[in-house]
Amino acid sequence: MVNFIDVLDRAATGPMMTQKDFDIKVFIPAMRRVIKKFDIKWNKGEVVNTDDSLADRVFEAAVDFYSEVGTYITDTQRIIKFTKREILEAVEEAPKEAYFGEGPDRCVMKGRLPDSDELAHCHVGSGTNTTEEVALRLVEAYARINKAKTISIPIINTLGHIRTAAGAPTEIFGGIRAMQYGREGCRRAGRPGLGIINHVSSCASGVSSIAASAPQFGARPSDGWLVAPFAELKTDYSSLNQTAYLSAWGANIGQEAGPILGGYAGGPEGLSIVNTAYSLHGILVMRATYHVIYPIHMTYVCSSVPDVLWATSLSTQAIARNMRVPYYSLLYAAAGAATKMYFYEALACLLMLIASGAGIEDPHPGKAKITNGCTPVDMEFTCQVGHACRGLTRKEANRTIDKIIPKYINRITNPPHGETIEECYNLDYFKPKPHFEKLYYEEVVKEIKTDFGIELYKY
Amino acid sequence: MGKDEVFKKILEAVVNGDSDTLLGIIRDIIDDKDPIEIIQKGMMPGLKRIGDMFGAGDVYLPEMLMAAEAFQEALKIVEPKLIESGKKIEKTGVVVFGTVQTDIHEIGKNIVITLMKTHGFEIHDLGANVLPTAFVDSAEAVNADIIAMSSLMTTTMTYQKDVIDYLKQKGLRDKYIVLVGGGPVNTEWAQRIGADGTSDSAVGAVEIAKRLIASKKGGK
Repeated sequence: MVNFIDVLDRAATGPMMTQKDFDIKVFIPAMRRVIKKFDIKWNKGEVVNTDDSLADRVFEAAVDFYSEVGTYITDTQRIIKFTKREILEAVEEAPKEAYFGEGPDRCVMKGRLPDSDELAHCHVGSGTNTTEEVALRLVEAYARINKAKTISIPIINTLGHIRTAAGAPTEIFGGIRAMQYGREGCRRAGRPGLGIINHVSSCASGVSSIAASAPQFGARPSDGWLVAPFAELKTDYSSLNQTAYLSAWGANIGQEAGPILGGYAGGPEGLSIVNTAYSLHGILVMRATYHVIYPIHMTYVCSSVPDVLWATSLSTQAIARNMRVPYYSLLYAAAGAATKMYFYEALACLLMLIASGAGIEDPHPGKAKITNGCTPVDMEFTCQVGHACRGLTRKEANRTIDKIIPKYINRITNPPHGETIEECYNLDYFKPKPHFEKLYYEEVVKEIKTDFGIELYKY
Repeated sequence: MGKDEVFKKILEAVVNGDSDTLLGIIRDIIDDKDPIEIIQKGMMPGLKRIGDMFGAGDVYLPEMLMAAEAFQEALKIVEPKLIESGKKIEKTGVVVFGTVQTDIHEIGKNIVITLMKTHGFEIHDLGANVLPTAFVDSAEAVNADIIAMSSLMTTTMTYQKDVIDYLKQKGLRDKYIVLVGGGPVNTEWAQRIGADGTSDSAVGAVEIAKRLIASKKGGK
């Protein structure tokens, strides 16, 4: 694989252009070309792709596309480019397993195939806005979910009455505090070695992220750090600085990306290709040991709509069949927490991912916009579905998802706001409040069994 | 070619983002036709149609961007004639738009900007990582109606409040409509910092902008 130092050299010496020219003259024409060349068409007849040859063509299209487009570096206004041969060599040599955590909590995340009997990696948590009052207990609640193999910890963006700000010292303190809460929460749950794999979501800037990652605050190289690009296929020295630091430390680096359906890549066809291209960018530029994609729809700002689900299933399969890298997906529900609609949306997302060969994370309620808007019940649900649906095939997933989508799609533009954790969950007892317990166990779990034949067990 | 047919071809070329065809037609007619008519009967309806198609989910950002690019290229030919004629195109409103300080994410902003252009807004794109004072200074310089701020990160949305604080400090808060948006931004946040509106989607943002502009102008 091309050495990281050589990648940095290309960042400083590659072809120069403005960002606008990159978008309009390079990215968009290349995307249109490969969609046509590889005959990628949205099959509206199925939510989960069942065509292996189409998944393989998406992978080929992504390689072709990425070899032409590369990764744009905003600081130097240059493009890091790779040849097809370099890309395919990197795919061959990319890590196929990522090890997280320590001691009895240590686990491995591996790539899976579509229709696989292997258990999907169950990752839980929420890197979303959370107040300090509940953050520690919330992490403890996540870590208590015994089927969870790894967790994400909340974003802390307040220091008492002060709101943290990107690039300011307050962000460094917020990042450190989140790290400390994360590790302490795991300890309190009796799982001190649990891998926390969304470092450092409280920090937007590279310097804060690196500062908060110092081991004295609780971070370990067996945790995982997410290094994000920005739309689409662009990064900067701040992110590359994180990669430089983490790779020198030997830490797990997660390639994360949230491509937008309707954005520069266009519709579902383009989304499936850019999702896949992000994994190529991830192994070559970000030196990723694991990958997470969270595509959303431009208008609905969620992932549970059929075109996003289809594109995600297709790219998941393209990656699973041709790269086999450790990979999971975080999807967004439109409905807020503690609503029936949330669980239907989440179920459609999870079934698609399980059958397509991805690891799973609890879909985030309320488009991930609501402070304290995620609950441990969402996470338990994810693990329960992951275990109940082990071995689910794509055809079976389609049959079930076809019955689930009508239960929520008409409300996608006007979803219920839902509740915050304080309203629906008792963090002193680590259990949902009676009304939420009733909704989940007496309605949702029963309906899922009756309507879809999926039996969820409380572990 | 009759007038109506020419305007129809201009409209189609804008919708298709076909700069070559559009510029060819405009060059052929620019000396014979009223520049206002070229814009109002050909180019703007084309831009509006692509905006409507985007709102309906029939096309995506690439198509809208290409249409806006073609429109801008054609405007370079039409504008001198327009200035010569002493006429002006009616604008829906003037907007200064940027991604806030320390935030370099631009896609959300660019989607809304492109859609706003299709609805006749004059946009001053300040780019990314824009200082609070720069938002206000730019708005003053171009006599804007709206200051629009985008932010993708929870730790960068803080800077949206700084812009409003600076407006208040300068005694200018009531002069501008302030819109905020971006990944973590919701109505609760917009209300808390004293913004005038927010929306999850580009279509919603344009609707709010039009409504607030109409209300502002109606109140004048």
